Amino acid sequence: MNISGIEIEKVNDNLWEIPITGEMLVPGRIYASEKMFKETLQNDEAIKQVINVAHLPGIQKYSLAMPDIHWGYGFPIGGVAATDINTGVISPGGVGYDINCGVRLAKTSLNYNSIKNRIQKLVENLFNDIPTGVGSSGAIKKLNSNEIKKILRNGSEWAITNGFGSDEDLILTEEKGKIKDANPDAVSNRAIERGMDQAGTLGSGNHFLEIDIVDEIYDEKAATILGLFTNQIVIQIHTGSRGLGYQVCDDYLKVLVQSEKKYGFNLPDKQLACAPIKSEEGQNYLGAMRSAANFAWNNRQIIMHLAKKSFNRTLNISDAELNFSLIYDVCHNIAKIEEHIIDGKAKKVCVHRKGATRAFPANNNLIPDKYKSIGQPVLIPGDMGRYSFVSIGTEKAMEETFGSSCHGAGRVQSRHQALKAAKGKNLIDELTKKGIVIQAKGYKTIAEEMPHAYKDVSDVVDVMHNAGISTKVAKLKPVGVIKG
Amino acid sequence: MPYKFIEHPADIAVEVDGNSLEELFKSACYAWREAAMNISSFNKESSKKFIFNGTTSEILLIELLSELNFQLYSKKWVFVTIQNLAIDKTDSEYHLEIELFGQTFHPEIHNMKEEIKAITYHQVKIEKVGNLYKTLIVFDV
Repeated sequence: MNISGIEIEKVNDNLWEIPITGEMLVPGRIYASEKMFKETLQNDEAIKQVINVAHLPGIQKYSLAMPDIHWGYGFPIGGVAATDINTGVISPGGVGYDINCGVRLAKTSLNYNSIKNRIQKLVENLFNDIPTGVGSSGAIKKLNSNEIKKILRNGSEWAITNGFGSDEDLILTEEKGKIKDANPDAVSNRAIERGMDQAGTLGSGNHFLEIDIVDEIYDEKAATILGLFTNQIVIQIHTGSRGLGYQVCDDYLKVLVQSEKKYGFNLPDKQLACAPIKSEEGQNYLGAMRSAANFAWNNRQIIMHLAKKSFNRTLNISDAELNFSLIYDVCHNIAKIEEHIIDGKAKKVCVHRKGATRAFPANNNLIPDKYKSIGQPVLIPGDMGRYSFVSIGTEKAMEETFGSSCHGAGRVQSRHQALKAAKGKNLIDELTKKGIVIQAKGYKTIAEEMPHAYKDVSDVVDVMHNAGISTKVAKLKPVGVIKG
Repeated sequence: MPYKFIEHPADIAVEVDGNSLEELFKSACYAWREAAMNISSFNKESSKKFIFNGTTSEILLIELLSELNFQLYSKKWVFVTIQNLAIDKTDSEYHLEIELFGQTFHPEIHNMKEEIKAITYHQVKIEKVGNLYKTLIVFDV
């Protein structure tokens, strides 16, 4: 197949390979269906970005892209690349501006039918209790820089210590909500200042909090272990490290763009700016990026707690009746040092996941004990009008994708196109007819985020399922949405 | 206006031009403000001065716009007019000095359009085409 002048070879129905050309160090590999190439990837720069990433010093095996691939900065969104920790580089473009943007899924023991007529009120109260929108702030009191540094070092532990959740929540969060070797001293005062009033805020754009119902179960055993049942009310939270993370990325891109000459790199895109992992710049970025990741986990932890309190108050029920508890929390914008088998040998690599979710298999030491028999939950949100999915990681993901899967739907329309397409429509009415209550800061956000601005996430999830990378457990359907 | 917003799959892209490097930088500042907010009246309440150095004019431009972004989201301050803007070039470095008049920004009162996460380096390339300096700038939102 030839896409925009790039030759792509079919490996199988769900996997395509870009052979090495020019200065590429490894081939590119894209998980996608033929339909995706024909319909959404025809003129997408993202394929070129898969090739660009293949130029990164120390890259191992393949420059990978998940089926939600679309144009990003430096790396494509949906990009995965592992670099040798001794000879390779770390690139902020392989993590993104929203460091540890991620998804958290919490469950309740409520059945949809029992609270159907309370969804409107729940959405109103959630919207009032959780700050949303551009520059949102003030979920909790403004913190001083010492407190922010505690968050950067301790992640979700800060929230638990301050009464926003329980120890069990930590066990059910990727990295237990506190990635090791965070270095708050590598985070600029500017980044800290940007984060001071943003702990516990949702932000804007595609970030959201959803009340969902479990619509369909595909894997009964895994669903039972995760505590999912049909018609159950669950809550999904999608947000990240807010302004603090954006500033960390910005600060280090500045440093690395200017040090490109120092290391003799000649990369095809400035946004791929990078430094050797073991260099001072590389270590500083890693320490700062991990700190921002901890800020994000703490952020989702606080939001979850605020959401639980909203449920308690709105429905006037006790914790025991509500049984609101975390299923799992995953990040989908991060770089992590992990051990993977390369050429038959265990090797430490820096896995960049930029719009990709870790998808570790059953019995992996890094997943919670209660999920060891099934594999790590992979949380894949769709658009606000259709559905989201819960999948689980597999051994094949370890073999093929450095233990990674997709992270979402991916846009098919620009914000401007979505706004144009929304003209003359009453999107709130359309969503209401589908049984979805929505509240957002402004109608513009709803229009920009309209369902058809996104790919059908089921196509994305099916590619990963059929490729055996992450297998489907359940489909979730939104009934209440709050957005910025 | 010496800038034009163009289609971008996910974010905001703007083509900017100017008769000189200084004019191009000024246009970029106003384009950034239009992308971020929608307020009709401004008050010159205070002034701020900034100095930047960079190995390329593109780096200098990204630094300037990133500073405006930081001032808005962290300091809740937005520029109203650009009082002075001067760019010097030595053999190895560009140097920029700018003085801005501006006002306190109130997110709850003023109309914020988009949260600009960052000014990206993606496709930024300042070129002289005829008598005009031009570049594309992409804001990550």
